[in-house]
Amino acid sequence: MTRIVEVPAHFDDRSFDQFAAHFGAWPPEERVLIDARGTQWASPYGLVGLLTAGQALAEASREKPLLTVPASDDVKRYWTRTGFFAHAADLFEVHGKVPKAGATGPSDVLLDVTPIRASEDIHEIVGKIQESAARILTGELGIDAKATMGFAMALSEACQNIVEHAGTSGWVAVQTYTFRRRLGGRRVVVIAVSDAGVGFRRSLESTQARRFGDRWGDQGALEAALIQNVSRFRDPGRGQGLAGIKRYLSRWQGKISIRSGTARLAIVPAWDEDAPLVDHLPFFPGAQVQVTIPAQHAES
Amino acid sequence: MVQTISLHRVLQEAVATPYRNLVTRATGAAVRGRIEATLAVGNGHTTLLDFSGVDCLDLSCADEIVAKLLLAAATGDRVLVLAGVREDQREALEHVLAHHRLAVAACFCGIAQPDLLGWIGSDARLAFAELSARGPADPPSLAARLDWSLERTVLALDDLGRHRVARPVAGVFHPATVP
Repeated sequence: MTRIVEVPAHFDDRSFDQFAAHFGAWPPEERVLIDARGTQWASPYGLVGLLTAGQALAEASREKPLLTVPASDDVKRYWTRTGFFAHAADLFEVHGKVPKAGATGPSDVLLDVTPIRASEDIHEIVGKIQESAARILTGELGIDAKATMGFAMALSEACQNIVEHAGTSGWVAVQTYTFRRRLGGRRVVVIAVSDAGVGFRRSLESTQARRFGDRWGDQGALEAALIQNVSRFRDPGRGQGLAGIKRYLSRWQGKISIRSGTARLAIVPAWDEDAPLVDHLPFFPGAQVQVTIPAQHAES
Repeated sequence: MVQTISLHRVLQEAVATPYRNLVTRATGAAVRGRIEATLAVGNGHTTLLDFSGVDCLDLSCADEIVAKLLLAAATGDRVLVLAGVREDQREALEHVLAHHRLAVAACFCGIAQPDLLGWIGSDARLAFAELSARGPADPPSLAARLDWSLERTVLALDDLGRHRVARPVAGVFHPATVP
């Protein structure tokens, strides 16, 4: 038996729950086939989420899942350019012709899909992204040059959640693109971070479950981490990472959304209509974080 | 005596690579460990943490290095001063210092006069700026220079003293900066 998991045509944080629902009870007993043939577009969140699914199945000792590549040549080329297929080859039995990675010029990809396994990876990521982040933030998004450091800081802190809390490795990707429906077609830069680890609930359970009582669950854990800046560590200096990201985003009308287990919690700026809190979602392993920073002006 | 510690150099020793970014808690802890070892054998009363050559500073590193060294210094007789700080590093430093209700004197790149970072009252900031700009003073002299009451001046100086960013020598308050 094979379980078919269809990748939505437009695969991003909004359609992610649809993707997660196909897995059923986790981990699925059957071999999984992830069918991306009909996918027309995927955000960085979608791409790192796909890899997380493959990683989580491997860590659950399930048979290597199958992945059928998008039918669209443009989509395949783009996924190749982000580095997705290079990592997917380790996690999936890939079916379909994948374009070879060639020389790339300037693109919307600020940071290829990159694994995060240890602190050293974050050094590499921050070092690699600074120049391009400065160009995009000031040139395209109209954000003060001094805010580039804050962006690198937010990226570093988002990635550190994996190293510090997930108990396994994860993935990050950064990209700029244009919102079609929201924000009147403005440019945005998006950081997507995903891991297949223990998730916020299990990470915080030993220190927070009793305090929340009956309210404890994925939703309560996200609330503790994102709203109350709680950490599982007793060190009073902990828990500042997400607080720092929120502070940075509040200055630039940015958005942060975290999905873990069966809940998603977001700090939603005025330009977005997302629900701040959604519970009882289809389960998905680990945690998925998305940070979105919009252009400070409408495009002419 | 002032003991100067180059964070860029300690970073390169701690991670054994040519990184210029102070990021991640593990890196911060490694850098702080080396600094503490240096301080343990040094005899300087003032420690100057020099940020020159450091690019990105994230919250985790700011917390592990600056906040924790300040917390440790508060139990001894050591004064910590930051130098070579870039304006875009201010945010991370302000955030972690405010979190711990700490303050520190910092010299920013290209700016002659030092500034205070962290959790400190506005009067204390003004008093510190005056002491830094026009030199040490006893409470009555400073009150006259700022056109404040003596009571207000003493409260501001107490705040500075509590945070170890100014200290009295024979009744005259000196800002914690580098000569």
